[in-house]
Parts: sequence; structure tokens; C-alpha cells
Amino acid sequence: MSAFLKTLFGDAGTVAVVAIVMAAEVLLVATDQAASAALAVPSLVLAGTAWLAKR
Amino acid sequence: MLDWTIVVPAFLTAAVEWVEAFTIVLAVSLSIGWRAAAGAALTALAALAAMTAATGGVLGLGLEIRWLQLAIGVFLLLFGVRWLAKAVARGAGLKALHDEAREFAEARTALARGDWMASWLIAFKGVLLEGLEVWLVVAAFGLHGRAWASSTAGASAALLIVVAAGLMVRAPLQRVPENAIKFAVGAMITAFGSFWTLEAVGGAAAWPWGDWSLLGLAAFYAVGGLALVVLLRQRSTAGEVR
Repeated sequence: MSAFLKTLFGDAGTVAVVAIVMAAEVLLVATDQAASAALAVPSLVLAGTAWLAKR
Repeated sequence: MLDWTIVVPAFLTAAVEWVEAFTIVLAVSLSIGWRAAAGAALTALAALAAMTAATGGVLGLGLEIRWLQLAIGVFLLLFGVRWLAKAVARGAGLKALHDEAREFAEARTALARGDWMASWLIAFKGVLLEGLEVWLVVAAFGLHGRAWASSTAGASAALLIVVAAGLMVRAPLQRVPENAIKFAVGAMITAFGSFWTLEAVGGAAAWPWGDWSLLGLAAFYAVGGLALVVLLRQRSTAGEVR
């Protein structure tokens, strides 16, 4: 079961990165900053990727 | 008519996963025979086919596209970011490259300790778990423009080619440039994931260039990923010198 969940969701670090990205998307859209989200989200995803790769 | 922008990423993603699954099935076949190992693999493939058909059925129920986009977008992000980070870490030398020969040897060692049923289960689980990622990508790309035929065709073609190549060489498929494929697919899938999640949350206007933003995102992640490889490699080399 844990292998199944890990295949679907990845480890805690991956889940944390995606959760932060999703929270940022919701926050930016809720505060009428959707236009900046198109720039902020890819940068945030890449920063998360860098963090995951470095671990 | 097949949509090649869907066929290609589905094919590449599936090819990487099927190569890994083939290595496991090959190792198991040397322990319990080809028939039993192939039976386990086919059982897992049947389960995956049923999951794919069920997903297609759910998507055909007329659920609001926004929620489907959000759910599948989140999974694509989870999957894409993981692949991209792994490929970057391997490219930068922070992590060892995936080695099919070593995987094969480790599977053989594990099998030596188990019985027939345990070996059968290893083949079944191996194909099922590797295939789960294929299922996810097939479902996700199938959702894009309802391109089920294209995404299924890409994954199925990859399966046939990997099995044919594997049967010809009768050894782990080591020459597949797995890290390069993982990097490219990771960038593409992360682009789809970012695009769909933000579009689901903020509406179609969230992306200034509409569907063309997808290309920009894929290029951004590919170039950014390559820059990360260089940066992290320099840092790791500097760390070694120090």
C-alpha cells in the first residue's frame, strides 16, 4: 500500500512543493493577482524542483 | 486521427516505465519461468487497462471539466516535478544514474530468497506500480481535448516496442537514454500540470497566451532544468574540491 501511495503522490518533499504551489495559485487568484500568477507559479515550481534535486 | 502532441509525450513516458517493468519481469522469468512471469505481467496490464477504461467512463459522465483539470493537474505536478528533480539531480551528479543492470541483479537477489508466489507477486506489483504512472499520464493527456485514442496509442506503442526489443536482446534494456527522456517528459508534464491547475483555479484568462502558454512553460522548465543541472554540478564540484 505504501508503494502504491508513493507511486501516486511521491515523497513528503514532493507533496510539500506541490502544496505550496497550489496555495500560491489560490492566494494570487483570490487577491486578484492572476496576471502575476502566470509568472510566479513557474518560478515557484522551478525553485521547488531545485530544492528536491538538492536534497 | 491521432494528435501527435499527445502521442509523443505519452509514448516517451510509457517507454521509460515499461523498460523498468520489463527488467523486473525478466528477472522474475529466470526464477519462475517465462509463462508465469508473463502471466503476472498480463494480469497487471489487464488491471491497468480496466483502470484506464474506468477513468474514461468517469470522464465521460459530464463532470465539470474544471474539477477534473484541477485533480489531474495536481497529479501531473506531483509526477512531473518528481521526474524533473530526479533527472536534474542525476544530470548534476548528485544522484547515481538509473542502472537497469543493477536493478536486474538486485531483483535476482531478492527473488533467490522467495518462493513461486512471492516471485509472481514481484512481477505483478512491478508492472502494476510502473504502469500506474503510465495510467496517470494516459488519463491526463486523454483529458486534454478528449484525446484518449492518442494517449492510449502512445502508451500501447511504447509497450509493444519495449517488449519486442526486450525479447530480441533477452537482457535488461540498458541503452535507453532514460535520464534524457525523464528530463524531457518531466518538463512537459510539469508544464501541463502548472497550466491546468492555474487555469482551473483562475480561469482561462490566467494564462496570457492561452494554449500557447503550454509551449512557453515546457521551454521554461527545460531551459531552467538545464540551468539547474549546470549550477548544481558546479556546486557539487566546488564542494568536492573544498
